[in-house]
Amino acid sequence: MALLALSGLVAVSLVLSLGLGAVSLTPSQVVDVLASHLPWGEPVEGVHATIVWDLRLARALLAALIGAGLAAAGAAFQGLFRNPLADPFIVGASGGAALGATLAITAGLRWSGAGFGPVPLAAFVGTLLAVALVYAVAETGGHAPAVALLLAGAALSTILSAAVSLLMLLNDRALHEVFTWLLGGLGGRSWPHLRASVPYLLIGLASLWLMARPLDALASGEETAQSLGLRLPHARGAIVAAASLTTAAAVAVGGIIGFVGLIAPHAARLLFGADHHRLIPASALLGALLLLLADDLARTVLAPVELPVGIVTALLGGPFFLYLLKTRQRELGG
Amino acid sequence: MITLEAQDITCAYDGRPVLEELCLAVRSGEVTALIGPNGVGKTTLLRAMARLLEPRQGSVLLAGRDLRDMSSKAVAQQLGLAPQAETASWPITVERAVSLGRAPHRGWLLPFSAEDRAIVEGILQQTGLVPLRERRVTELSGGEQRRVILARVLAQQPEVLLLDEPTAYLDLKYQTEILELVSRLAHEDKLAVVISLHDLNLAALYADRVALLSEGALQAVGAPSEVLTPERLTQVYGVPVVVTRHPVSDTPLVMPVANGTSSHKRVSES
Repeated sequence: MALLALSGLVAVSLVLSLGLGAVSLTPSQVVDVLASHLPWGEPVEGVHATIVWDLRLARALLAALIGAGLAAAGAAFQGLFRNPLADPFIVGASGGAALGATLAITAGLRWSGAGFGPVPLAAFVGTLLAVALVYAVAETGGHAPAVALLLAGAALSTILSAAVSLLMLLNDRALHEVFTWLLGGLGGRSWPHLRASVPYLLIGLASLWLMARPLDALASGEETAQSLGLRLPHARGAIVAAASLTTAAAVAVGGIIGFVGLIAPHAARLLFGADHHRLIPASALLGALLLLLADDLARTVLAPVELPVGIVTALLGGPFFLYLLKTRQRELGG
Repeated sequence: MITLEAQDITCAYDGRPVLEELCLAVRSGEVTALIGPNGVGKTTLLRAMARLLEPRQGSVLLAGRDLRDMSSKAVAQQLGLAPQAETASWPITVERAVSLGRAPHRGWLLPFSAEDRAIVEGILQQTGLVPLRERRVTELSGGEQRRVILARVLAQQPEVLLLDEPTAYLDLKYQTEILELVSRLAHEDKLAVVISLHDLNLAALYADRVALLSEGALQAVGAPSEVLTPERLTQVYGVPVVVTRHPVSDTPLVMPVANGTSSHKRVSES
């Protein structure tokens, strides 16, 4: 019930977001355009249709989906590691994505595949490779203990970010492009980006939701999960894989957008509790809402200049997180 | 009728042997209490019997089948373990934590059925957790957390119940309640129950059999009055004890012989 209300809120924000911009539109104008694309809808011609459908809708949907993906992945990692500071990038995803994207930009790669252009493809592959490497390092005898995963993730992230810095120093022509990408942003994203990332994001989100019960069991302790017949290596591997696929798809098209995957799960836990069958969808919806609103700000605050949305999420999300930490320590579940 | 049988098992941590060629069989309808000083391997034995630790040598048989040849799921459908070390570190709700006990039967992905919910409901009532169902497990007292753990194991509807220190952190009332419940499960529902206990008197009061573990081996197994003798306990625990009888149940009652400050009392009474 509360989840339905939250879904409604996301839908309303989506409509409002579509009206925001250089040309502002009323919600009813937006709804008219959206309705015209329904099979029974009446066609709407003209500039409004172009603005809403061709220019704004894909980006807004992408913001919502990326926010949802990062938040659900963050919720899963927090549950898996029983660590409220875990985020989607905890096992090396951001380092892999950053190095992949930086390589693609500095080397001027022109490869594309899986529907992605060169930079998103490299970021996507980089994320998955980094997580796979972390997992391989942490694994001993078919078993990757949580602490080993965290440490390996931290170490690899440091190594990869050093490599990114080196590449940036050596290629100062590409500096601005790399830097902008690293900050995370949705400027210029449209239908091809959405089409490329949607399958991975949706599969990732659905898999994370399916992992709710194993996550609940792991939250009760590894010994307990095992005594309930959960095969830890499989469960942990499946959770890391689902969360990383989701993160990789989000990072590929949006760059490294911080804080959404940390804060949305916290807020979701405060509002909906920590049982993962509710927490995963609640985190996804809150993440969608947060990134939609953050992207609205990124587009409009300094218009016509666009801010990278990662700066907005960090500037707003960081203080909010500190506030939570100060006032609601107990509920943070640490 | 189900039996769980450890046959000549040897277990080691980091090469250090903890249990050596140990044999123990438990049967339906009986409560077996595992006693012994700290660090003798009670938890290790329970973990090995629950398939959480593979013995280096020997095997554990559940209804005649080697645990090694069974899937984790099949084991979890018949055997429930309440670990000692579990502390709630993530704030899931009591009801959710208890319903996890249905996972071995329902699987990890399918939604719980009406039957699962009814079973969980019955167990919440049986363990007095109904008023706490929406609470987060991290907010509970140590005793309440122990009850949640026991409830989850009961939701597994196991035929064999292994409880590691189920009465730790509990006050007298809850200790008694848990042991009464365990005793009913063994005697009425015909479960095979193994509990590790520190309190020798509670072991004597509630267990049908007592297994005394020390130095990696069972020193004695049998009825409480056979196993709990002053000579044996003095030797195993390294402190002098006296054993009298419980005035009501006539089971053994073990008391340390106090040295030092109170020795004059002993003299004055004699």
